[in-house]
Amino acid sequence: MLDLRPRILAVGTANPPDRYSQADLLARFKVDDPKIVSLFSSSHILSRHLYLPPGRPEGGPEPESQADLLRKHRRGALEVAPKAVAACLDQVGLRPADIDYLCCITSTGWLTPGLTAILMKELGFREDCSRVDIVGMGCNAGLNGLNPVASWAMANPGKNALMVCIEICSAAYVFDGSMRTAIVNSLFGDGVAAVLVRASERDERSFAPKILGFDSHIITEAIDAMRFDWDEAEGKYSFFLDRDIPYVVGANAEKPIGRLLARFGLRRRHISHWIVHSGGKKVVDAIKYNVGLTDHDVRHTHSVLRDYGNLSSGSFLFSLSRLLAEGRVRRGDYGVLMTMGPGSTIETALVRW
Amino acid sequence: MYETLKFDEQGDIATIRLGRPRINVKQIRELERVCDHLEDVSTAKVVVLRGHSLGIDFLDFDPKAGMDIHGFNKWEKLVSRFENLDKVTVALVDGPAVGGGFQLTLVCDQRICVPGASFQLNEVPLGFLPGMATFRLAKYVGLGHAKRIVMTGAVIGADEARRLGLVDMVTDDLDAALAATIASFGPMHTVAFSLARRLLNESYGTQIEDALGNFLAAQHRAISQTAFLDTLRAEQKKS
Repeated sequence: MLDLRPRILAVGTANPPDRYSQADLLARFKVDDPKIVSLFSSSHILSRHLYLPPGRPEGGPEPESQADLLRKHRRGALEVAPKAVAACLDQVGLRPADIDYLCCITSTGWLTPGLTAILMKELGFREDCSRVDIVGMGCNAGLNGLNPVASWAMANPGKNALMVCIEICSAAYVFDGSMRTAIVNSLFGDGVAAVLVRASERDERSFAPKILGFDSHIITEAIDAMRFDWDEAEGKYSFFLDRDIPYVVGANAEKPIGRLLARFGLRRRHISHWIVHSGGKKVVDAIKYNVGLTDHDVRHTHSVLRDYGNLSSGSFLFSLSRLLAEGRVRRGDYGVLMTMGPGSTIETALVRW
Repeated sequence: MYETLKFDEQGDIATIRLGRPRINVKQIRELERVCDHLEDVSTAKVVVLRGHSLGIDFLDFDPKAGMDIHGFNKWEKLVSRFENLDKVTVALVDGPAVGGGFQLTLVCDQRICVPGASFQLNEVPLGFLPGMATFRLAKYVGLGHAKRIVMTGAVIGADEARRLGLVDMVTDDLDAALAATIASFGPMHTVAFSLARRLLNESYGTQIEDALGNFLAAQHRAISQTAFLDTLRAEQKKS
């Protein structure tokens, strides 16, 4: 039987050139508040790629206005996204001109025209390429985007859909010495991930995961747990993370996963691969003990967090890329993709190789 | 239904009786089917593994064919599934528990045996390894005793097994001991029980910082269950 479900044919990733350890950051900005020093040293992050302003002799970064941050977002996106797109398309021998549908996702800057238009101009996509920009949905947005991308691919067999998660989190930094901003500044990193999705009989024999379905979950009682606020004093958007997020997410994680697996008559033991968003150490712990995952199940989630920090919407695609590179996946294996973010939201998808 | 074992379920108790002297491929498949049932369908709260076993059946191996590690992996996956069932598991040993038989008892939550029972990991003297007993045994008996048991293949009698902490009770009356053991667990709060077991099983291989994060995640799950809310209401009524 002809199977025309969409497949993830390639994943490409890229990051800004400069990489910093947590200690580098404390030294660069001469941070000596013991609570912030301890936050940076206890985190499970070894390094992150970031666009950082120079430090001032008296400590702290050279000031950046909201306008500077918006420019940084655009500049960073234009430097990193083309590399991730090329890394993705090279794997399947395609060029931007072969893409029929482009979806860009970001929560770290506001642009009109959006990132899809900017990439069209810079990278040589065709003028009749369809586009959509998903802006402001946060860390879960990669799966909120993959859902319509997969639907588009299924409705347009043989056509190439490209999704690009572009997060320049250092364009959303506020440095005011508070714990609120220190938590955000210690966690997020910059990076771009691109995936090519296509539903085509050409790919029937390819070893690429088919996207079987999605399940969403929103916890509206916790709508304020992760959010951008306008900081009057700083004149910037400032991200806020509630300390109870891990527990809210953990307590609800079983719901979408249970529904998703039940729809396909599967049990958790049938899932060989878990691709979980690298939200932070505590939220990953909460998922481990609520969904019943082992450290081995979340090894890529941990290692992506360690090497890049939280890359927001693209994080889970960095983990997927590591899973594919590892060479352990076998034909017929099932995988669950899972992202968490503002709303509070848990998004899940089921794939099969 | 099963050829190599007997399985029955009465009320809260599911019982598996091993029905052949050695563990063969067929018995492993049937134990997997039992695990499917226990995980997917069964509402039992206690699983009893009853009988004795002389370990792996060498008739399953063809010395002329190449040796295959995947069967051992299948075995370990089965043992690990058994270890993580969301039910109390009790081993009732009524004879020798050798090799894989001994390994299965090590993943149960409680072990009870008759005075004539014995425990032996005879694999190393036979030229192979006693599965992941190399990982689990020392947690019960300490490294010194574990080395002796694994490396010499010593036969451990019931009394010595009791002294070493390998079994929890030695008795002629397994049924009475089982009833007492089940009663000792009190009301079984599946979630708290499974989480406690997981944290204990992980306790020898985790850094304290990681263990603390794991504990907090598990504790939040436990206190979010209705069982804990019921406890709170009952305790507050008392005072």
